[in-house]
Amino acid sequence: MLPIVSITLFLPLLGALLIMALRKTSTQAIHAIGIITSGLTLLGSLWMWSRGVNETGFAQLEELDWMPSIGAAYRVGVDGISLPLVLLTTLLFFLTLIYSAKVKERPQAFVVLMLLLETAAIGTFTALDAILFYVFFEVSLVSMYFMIAGWGHEDRQRAALMFFIYTLLGSLPLLLAILGLYLGSEPHTFDMRVWINNPPLDGLAAMLALIAMLFTFAVKTPVFPFHTWLPAAHVQAPAAGSVILAGVMLKFGTYGLVRFALQMTPDAFRDAGIVILIFGVVAALYGAFAALAQSDIKRLIAYTSVNHMGYVIVGVAIAALALDPAIRATALDGSVLQMVSHGLVTGALFFLVGMLQDRAHTREMDQFGGLLKITPILGWSFVLAAFASLGLPGLAHFPAEFQIFLVTLQVEPAAVIVILGIVITAGLYLRAIGKVFLGEPNEKWLAMSDLNTREVLTLAPLLILIIVVGIAPALVLDMIHKTTAALQF
Amino acid sequence: MNLIAIAILAPLVAAVLILLLRRAPAALSLLGTVIGLIASIGLLTNAFAGVAGALTLPGLPDMPLLLVATPLTALLSTLVAVICIFVMIYAVGYMKKDDEKVRFSATLLLFAAAMQTLVLAGDWILLLAAWELIGLSSYLLIGFWYRRPGVTSAATRAFMVTRSADLGLYIAVFILIATTGSSDIATTLNTGGSAAIVAGLLLLVAAMGKSAQTPLHDWLQRAMAGPTPVSALLHSATLVAAGAILLIRTAPMLPAETLLVIGIVGGITTVVTGLIALGENDLKRLLAASTSSQYGLMLLAVGAGVPLAALLHLIAHAAIKSALFLGAGVFQHSRDGTTFGKLEGAGRDQPRIFFGFALAALALAGIPPLSGFFSKDAIIAASLASSDAWLLASFALAGTLLTGAYMARALSILWHGDRQKRSIPGLGWMGAGLAGLVTLAVILGAFFPSIETLLRASLAEDENTLAQILGLSAALSGLALGWFISGERLLGPLLPWSQRGFAVAGGMDNLLVRPAFAIARRCEKLERSLYTGVLAVGRLGLNIGRGARFGDERGIDGLIFALVRGTINLGNRARTLQSGLIHREMAITVVGAALIFAILFIPLLFF
Repeated sequence: MLPIVSITLFLPLLGALLIMALRKTSTQAIHAIGIITSGLTLLGSLWMWSRGVNETGFAQLEELDWMPSIGAAYRVGVDGISLPLVLLTTLLFFLTLIYSAKVKERPQAFVVLMLLLETAAIGTFTALDAILFYVFFEVSLVSMYFMIAGWGHEDRQRAALMFFIYTLLGSLPLLLAILGLYLGSEPHTFDMRVWINNPPLDGLAAMLALIAMLFTFAVKTPVFPFHTWLPAAHVQAPAAGSVILAGVMLKFGTYGLVRFALQMTPDAFRDAGIVILIFGVVAALYGAFAALAQSDIKRLIAYTSVNHMGYVIVGVAIAALALDPAIRATALDGSVLQMVSHGLVTGALFFLVGMLQDRAHTREMDQFGGLLKITPILGWSFVLAAFASLGLPGLAHFPAEFQIFLVTLQVEPAAVIVILGIVITAGLYLRAIGKVFLGEPNEKWLAMSDLNTREVLTLAPLLILIIVVGIAPALVLDMIHKTTAALQF
Repeated sequence: MNLIAIAILAPLVAAVLILLLRRAPAALSLLGTVIGLIASIGLLTNAFAGVAGALTLPGLPDMPLLLVATPLTALLSTLVAVICIFVMIYAVGYMKKDDEKVRFSATLLLFAAAMQTLVLAGDWILLLAAWELIGLSSYLLIGFWYRRPGVTSAATRAFMVTRSADLGLYIAVFILIATTGSSDIATTLNTGGSAAIVAGLLLLVAAMGKSAQTPLHDWLQRAMAGPTPVSALLHSATLVAAGAILLIRTAPMLPAETLLVIGIVGGITTVVTGLIALGENDLKRLLAASTSSQYGLMLLAVGAGVPLAALLHLIAHAAIKSALFLGAGVFQHSRDGTTFGKLEGAGRDQPRIFFGFALAALALAGIPPLSGFFSKDAIIAASLASSDAWLLASFALAGTLLTGAYMARALSILWHGDRQKRSIPGLGWMGAGLAGLVTLAVILGAFFPSIETLLRASLAEDENTLAQILGLSAALSGLALGWFISGERLLGPLLPWSQRGFAVAGGMDNLLVRPAFAIARRCEKLERSLYTGVLAVGRLGLNIGRGARFGDERGIDGLIFALVRGTINLGNRARTLQSGLIHREMAITVVGAALIFAILFIPLLFF
């Protein structure tokens, strides 16, 4: 059988090597290679989807010996939690490369970094060996650092450095936790499946490992108060970088929270469940309120990420606290679906803000006004994405948030206060729409052009999927539910 | 194909077609609405024949989406479709001069589809979804003329107030699903005990938002910034009806404590918003306040334990109020505005429209044999029969009196004044829509008995005479007061309160919106200090690094450099030996070689 996971994983790397090998190539050719490579990668992930996931454990396993003496190996595979994220990743990279076809400044380096980042992201979600996971997890930082530092806005150097150091320091505790799990496993191995089926640590050791992992993933997700790098990085990052950062890389945190923290130290997670839940609730509400105070539209969307990822934390914490397996499955269904929805919706929003900034060279909401009349496609796309982000039924976030809130009420009724977030996000999005797109058109922008074909092609798939996932969440949920319903921890 | 699906999909497909083709919006929207209406009537005839329809769709795991055509839902579906068709006909004329007909028709159809989903929903998730989607359509339609000043804030306010109240629906749904383990509405209606009390109160909160009940009544009047057909369809007959429909559908579950609260909320609303209507200076805003007031009466009926009376008033009110709005829209076109200053004597411009408007007004006041008489009578009878008769009945009678007063006031202003003659484009279409609805407003009462048989419920008959006498005298005295005495004088000291919308302590803005922004600013402040904190940590790290460098230079580096210097000195000394002068080098080599040989051979001498 074709090792389709590995092919999908390394295709972008091959593309990157190809571009590096071709010395003198036109900008167009470089972008073409990038788009074709990521398109093939997307097809690869769709192929993985068609092969599906197993009722229990991981599917589509591919293994190779690597460092047998220490029990590390090349092991990849997917389950219902990672496969949707792989699909999201390949889709967003494909669209980002289409959008970035406008990049004229060092296109070779740009596309190579993007493709490297894509391999790192797919690797993070498919790795079943802790060393491999850690390598991919860290390599992604390097690419994103150069992305921000090289193609960002005014204050990009500082933001890039802050992002890099913050998240690099943030991920060191994870390494300690991985070593702890390694030493606790008997015989010693880095096989994540072994750690999941048979959690190697207990008692204090497990709790310490959990705290270490929580720290890492809290920085990555990010959770209040470890989120300061996020708005800074988003504001300075180029639109393509923001889309990947919010759409894909934030999910490393929540994916790790489920895959490592929840599955490998389940008892400690349950003991700490209330604390994690509180962190989630605070993050969700804080993110919403902080977003409400913004006047820069990109910062506003960055903060709503803190809000939406807060719901994911709440869902995972509830899954740990729930005693009934059905409730637990629903909680995880909601959390994983929320990750996918957030990728689609926030991806679309960052693209839209990027397109707006390309035209106006400002992100201050008060500078705009009445754009719906001048650029109707841009305007209506933003309205759709904004309403999706505020959790309107029929659009992608609703089914996920509904499930999360439902189980929250069932398990910890007091925590359902987090639902206030949907009112605040509604308020801030309506305010943004009102300021930027409604009212009398601002004279300054009368000549602004509407979206071109490249931009429409970038956005359309996301907007369509936002509606499809909202109307037929089963499309994604079936895959997720297959795994979550069988989880034992 | 399933009739339920057609009832929902017909308008939706028409909306999509209009958006894609961008032509013939009027024809397509009428076609979509008519097909939907036929399907709804099909459902209703099936219901009369005792056939219930159902449709199950995949939803969330273990929680499928359900659509059901019970007698009640089929009836409501037909009502929605009927009002829709007349408003659509009217809108063809009303929007004749507007150049964004495509967007208008598509949004209106989207609303129609969402509303059909709401009334036909058989499970909570679908109901919640439709509930929020009609909120979205309302936002888009109120904000239709988004370039005009004040429109954006009106649309935003409407969405925010209803969405905040919707949290009640969300949490009520969670409680019901958690208690019964099912998202099927019919199953969850068996909930009892404290869960039912709490869920019932939360449902009431949601209903108060949508049906614009005090203290959440303010958004509806501002919503009048939208086009008049929107006011007629959404803000009188359908969207606003969702709140009452929710309570009517869940009435079997509601315990006595919750019912009493519902009755009181409805009673207060009917009086408060009735007084607001009396002091209003704008015809559309008067009608909007009146809508809140009439929904207050419906909630009162639910609270009195007779949801059937609420349903009958909902049906009668839907036809009456849409007719009134359509009439107001004609006057608006004829006088370029809806303030009473402009509208004085507008009724004389268009006597036929005025006649229709007056018929509807009398129906709303409850004059026999018009439809409103029967439904209002049922509500008064219900309040008299309830266990808190003194309270609910006085609210109901006060509401009836006020209805008569403000409607008579509107009629009087429209009739007294100078006549202006002006041609109105699209009057034919508008007149047709209005005529249809006025006819319904007049004759609907005749169908109430068959509705009762359909729902297998009947109104209590024993106290009817008393109710009729009380109701009719209240209505007539109200009409007389309104016609002969100005609203300002009737209100007396209440006038400033009425003009402020009875807002206490600055209303919702002061109580909720400002605090929210204050919290947001606090968060932003904290954000900045967190950010500087992180930068400070970074700077601290840099300083430590600098300190380390200093230590390195003076300490470790010093040592290393000392070593290096020593080595260099040694090397220099060694270099003096390598002078490049051959004879000296030769000499050194010879001496060296001699030494080596000596060292090698000396040991041989000893052994």
